[in-house]
Amino acid sequence: MARIAFAWEMGGEYGHVMSCAGLASGLAAHGHRIAFMFRELRQLSVVPEARDYDVFQAPRCAREGVGMDMPVGYVDIMQGCGYADARELTGLVGGWRSLLSGWKPDMVVADFSPTALLAARSLGLPRVTYGNGFFVPPRSTPLPPFRFDAPVDLARLARTEQSVLANVNGALPRFGAKPLARLAELFEADEHFICTFPELDHYGTRETSGYWGPRVRFDRGTDIAWPEGPGKRIFVYVKTNLPLLDPLLEVLAASPHRVVAYIPGLDEGRRRKFATRRRIVSDKPVKLERFLRECDLLVSHGGEISVGALMYGVPSLVFPTHYEQYATACRLEQLQTGVWLGPGATPDLVPRGLNGALDPRRAEIARTFAKRYTAFWPMEQRRRIIIRIEEILRGRGAILSPPSSQGIHG
Amino acid sequence: MARVLFAWELGGDLGHARRIFEVANGLRALGHDTAFAFQDLLATGTLATPVAWYQAPLLAAPKDAQPGAPLSHSVVLLNRGFGDALSVAGATRAWFGIFHLWKPDILVVDYAPGALIAARAAGLRHAAIGSGFSTPPPQDPMPTLRSWMPAEPAALQRADAALLAGVRGGVERAGATRGVPLQASDVFRVEANLLCTWPEIDPFGPRDGADYIGPQDDPSNGKPMAWRGSSRPRLFAYLKARDPRFASLLESIARLPGESIVVALGLPPAQAAARSTSTMQLVAEPAALEPLLAEADLCLCHSGPGTVAHALAAGVPLALLPQQFEQYLVARKVVDAGAGVMLEPDVPSPDFAGWLAAAAVNGTLRQAASTSPLRGRRKRSAAERLAAMIAA
Repeated sequence: MARIAFAWEMGGEYGHVMSCAGLASGLAAHGHRIAFMFRELRQLSVVPEARDYDVFQAPRCAREGVGMDMPVGYVDIMQGCGYADARELTGLVGGWRSLLSGWKPDMVVADFSPTALLAARSLGLPRVTYGNGFFVPPRSTPLPPFRFDAPVDLARLARTEQSVLANVNGALPRFGAKPLARLAELFEADEHFICTFPELDHYGTRETSGYWGPRVRFDRGTDIAWPEGPGKRIFVYVKTNLPLLDPLLEVLAASPHRVVAYIPGLDEGRRRKFATRRRIVSDKPVKLERFLRECDLLVSHGGEISVGALMYGVPSLVFPTHYEQYATACRLEQLQTGVWLGPGATPDLVPRGLNGALDPRRAEIARTFAKRYTAFWPMEQRRRIIIRIEEILRGRGAILSPPSSQGIHG
Repeated sequence: MARVLFAWELGGDLGHARRIFEVANGLRALGHDTAFAFQDLLATGTLATPVAWYQAPLLAAPKDAQPGAPLSHSVVLLNRGFGDALSVAGATRAWFGIFHLWKPDILVVDYAPGALIAARAAGLRHAAIGSGFSTPPPQDPMPTLRSWMPAEPAALQRADAALLAGVRGGVERAGATRGVPLQASDVFRVEANLLCTWPEIDPFGPRDGADYIGPQDDPSNGKPMAWRGSSRPRLFAYLKARDPRFASLLESIARLPGESIVVALGLPPAQAAARSTSTMQLVAEPAALEPLLAEADLCLCHSGPGTVAHALAAGVPLALLPQQFEQYLVARKVVDAGAGVMLEPDVPSPDFAGWLAAAAVNGTLRQAASTSPLRGRRKRSAAERLAAMIAA
């Protein structure tokens, strides 16, 4: 059986850990050995199945984001995460190489992990990427910007790319690795599991890539039934730092709708004020599998859950807090399955946003959209990804039992 | 020969990494193998030797960190996430991961409490090197760091209890059955405590149960520089260019009578050259301290224990501008001994020129510095101490 290392280098929250753990548990059920090399380790507490995996801290730039402006392309993010200085990048690549050459994976699964890809490349290791469209750019030269709502200084971006490439090539010789001719080579992999819909790719559509559907975990969390009675069923999953949280809760409380809310860390005062028979406040993540089938609207920040909800034909009201979420929000708006309110929105816009998102036409469009992508159903997606990973492993000479003898586990 | 893993988790800048490299070089010269687990991998990026290095496991920063001077070392660790069992559990598992991959025979920490917690749970031998602040005396309750304020025993105990709960919970979640702390002091206990400082400037000194071996860096290393003329007083300054006071400090130094040499770490080298004057040599890289201090009248610095120790060993009085808490505690020691003056960080728009000019000709300061017990004191080698420990 093979040794498979999951790398998570950039980004935050729980989505990366949950998604990696989902795929890892499927691979572990096939007898593969798993290592998690993660940026944040606290989140391991939400994936008890990882108890038997080997766990490592992913190398992380100590000056992350310092002096960084609003990024308009992938190279800007790299620049703020250690690629601005060849010495620092040498330290980070060396850190990844110690983990990889020590643990000796047969494959690296990279979730938003450019430096893990670079280190794996320098060691000649098979590697795949796994994540939504934001986490790996289209491999063109120069790499395209992801910002589409404001003019982009392409010359400035090209200069940043040149500098990032120079620092990569400044770091690689230390390890006896060949320099890159183009930065896009850093992202070369045996497969890109782009886990979104083509319509929701942050970069727009891209050449030579397949789409594998959203990867949000639907099989985890507490089972909650929708409150009885009339009114639409609205699921709220936001954080307490949402500036419009109070207006949102007030508008929902004044509405005739049924609400289930998961707002991690919500204070007792707000919880007591909001919760009624028709409005449930969950203190744990909600299991989405059956729950979303009956949901009329998702209110979220526009993370992968909003893409996942579309799989169930659920429209969205989005409060994006950073650019990746904002880009998703804009794509949902283009599809006419979502409405969004930015950080500068005023409280009076909340009722309008809610009513706009609940427009029956949006639900209709979302349902029609979902019907087009039945192969993206979570279990089916995981099954197909595991088949593809094992195909690559076999192609690279790993000894696995024949596919026919393997049951597919969840 | 033994495999020695060095760990550094807390404390900024590169002082910890430099000290570790110094000791590691010594151990390699004695035939041992070394690897590094650092919170900041920038320093490892310049290593020419073929050694392994790892990212030290990181804890999630707590939302309720207590601002200001920490009450005790338990608060220092709580502010870094050690009160959160889930965070400690994740980090402990990741330390186990490094131990499993590299298979060290001994762990040497330079301010790495998470590594120590994991080493005890893994039954790995360990020793600490550091400047004193990072290895507080293990007591219950953990001693106050604000000796100048009224005692707050209840608050000390509350902090200890919160730390113990986080660390215990974390270690247990990580599956450890041994090395689980029973009281807060157990979190800080080390098998061997090699203090790379002297009792007179150790924030917790003098104390028992520790081995004072002195700063490990060699003050004759660095860019060779020399005093140009014979005019006095001579000011040697060792500063960080990113200090908000740096610009006005530099202006004041340039106006001082006599001669000055200023090392400004982090200053672009071109700027250093451009701003030098006939009486002020300004450089951006570390200079060899020993020959300069031997003929200096005043040493201006941020009160890093290494620079302070070298200045007092040379009998040079100090003008101190601490930037952070450890430096502040060292500065208080020096001021209490009469060998230096300190400007507290929150003094608004101080008169640097007046302060420096007065300190440079202050006979009482000079007298105290020239008779300092640190005068001429020589370090003992941490590498040799560790090698002896390994062989024992």
